[in-house]
Amino acid sequence: MKNGFISSMIAVAVFSAAPIPAAGQVFSPPRTPDGKPNLQGIWQVLNTAAWDIQDHHAQLGVPAGQGVVEGNDIPYQPAALAQKRENFANRLTADPETKGYLPGVPRATYMPFPFQIFQTPNYVTIAYEYAHAIRMIYTNGSKHPTGHIDFWMGDSRGRWEGDTLVVDVIHFNDQTWFDRAGNFHSDALHLVERYTLIGPDHINYEVTIEDPKVLTRPWKMSMPLYRRKEPNVRLLEYPAGFLLQEEAQKGK
Amino acid sequence: MMAVAAVVGVLSLVPLPAAAQGPAAPTTWGGCPAEPLAFHKCALEKAKTFKPPRTPGGKPDMQGYWRGQAPAFSVEGVAKTDPLTLDPITPWAIGPSLIVDPPDRKIPYQPWAAEIGRRGQNFQKYIDPRTACASGGVPRVAHQDASMLLQPSGDDYVVWLFEDHHVERVITMDGRPRPRVGENIKVWNGDSRGRWEGNTFVIDVTNINGYAWLDDAGNFYTDAAHLVERLTMIDPDTIHYEVTIEDPKAYTRPWKVVWALVREKDPGFELLEEACLEGERDLPRFLELGYRHYFGESWRSR
Repeated sequence: MKNGFISSMIAVAVFSAAPIPAAGQVFSPPRTPDGKPNLQGIWQVLNTAAWDIQDHHAQLGVPAGQGVVEGNDIPYQPAALAQKRENFANRLTADPETKGYLPGVPRATYMPFPFQIFQTPNYVTIAYEYAHAIRMIYTNGSKHPTGHIDFWMGDSRGRWEGDTLVVDVIHFNDQTWFDRAGNFHSDALHLVERYTLIGPDHINYEVTIEDPKVLTRPWKMSMPLYRRKEPNVRLLEYPAGFLLQEEAQKGK
Repeated sequence: MMAVAAVVGVLSLVPLPAAAQGPAAPTTWGGCPAEPLAFHKCALEKAKTFKPPRTPGGKPDMQGYWRGQAPAFSVEGVAKTDPLTLDPITPWAIGPSLIVDPPDRKIPYQPWAAEIGRRGQNFQKYIDPRTACASGGVPRVAHQDASMLLQPSGDDYVVWLFEDHHVERVITMDGRPRPRVGENIKVWNGDSRGRWEGNTFVIDVTNINGYAWLDDAGNFYTDAAHLVERLTMIDPDTIHYEVTIEDPKAYTRPWKVVWALVREKDPGFELLEEACLEGERDLPRFLELGYRHYFGESWRSR
């Protein structure tokens, strides 16, 4: 019955006007006045990458986790692999994060603390609750300054490729780790981050990591960023260095 | 931290010439006299007729890089006769009080607090928390270093970023209905709520933990502090910045400071990373000399 078939097709079309895109269909994000996807909001990850970016079983105080590294393999050069193992053995004191230092990139993204993204036509600014780290991503067409500069959080220059914010990050020192498990980098670190809204409350975050002094080839990690939805949510403060000083002075 | 300076002062046998203090300070900001009280009166007049540029959302556009024009040595000013103006390491700049109210231009401390601020106990016994790489706090961060104001799309927030110790202030604008954070959460830079009154950006700051100093002299507030800041452009490159500070635990009445924020126009200027804690090497020496970390008024009784 042709009419019955057509009317049932129309019914299906009406009930399918839900916001979740069908497989293969791309999410059409809300936009800022200058037409770019609106990434603004308070975001946080829901994984255990801060402890270990690769697959790991539980340790006391450390939840088990599936890794965020594609292929689960980090292609270290042989000497670097030895360094990583040594880092791991000494991690409770050797991890720079234990000194309250700036966490570096991309670790700042997956520390278990929220961060807030702000957008203007020329800047995407990310304010992290952890150690009040700030990243300014210049989307004004400017280039990296000449260097080498030893920043903790790198120098970030971004552009839009379709609806993906692509951020090129260089000018790192070699002082930060990627996690508590001792994964590390040199000052030749070069990152390319990609932020893509895949739904109203989810960003797909991918990072390609390149480091010719430490790696035999680049590798990649990816994870969802989840929007913090509590009505009263805001960034608070985790002043890491101060908290360590306070601990050291207690009882003295 | 007077004791260190005094020790070095005694050891240095040749007095340095007073002229060795850098270039002369400008005498006007935005066409108004630089002296805070004169600036305050002149700037508020200019603000009545100045029409600021607007954001796409129709708000005054204060975005860009700004630099505070108030030396941070002491909000009460530094007299010509002050011995710290001859300090061989960091001579204090002579300058007027930043306080425009009360009329005597001094912090209206309660008697107990006057012994602690004003180069009293704080300055003599404790490490300046900003030196220990904690946030300079509000309003001290806005005194003299570079900062960046951003008015992101949607006008729900204004972001004020400071180069000094990468301090980030996220100011929630009143277009977003959102209750204050509970009063038992106290943070270094407070919880800031903003609104527009005409062309003035008003910021109401509560939930201050009282761990920051107000200046290098150890002037202070407590966790009962409440601030109201007012920013008004008086010309394209000058903001009149005013803060009313009240704290019933420390002061007998509210008081007000004023200074100018001037647009940073160096071509290609960007805020750079200032990784204080990561590079700090002197703190163990200060501790050896007997100074203690400052954790606010409540620590004094421990």
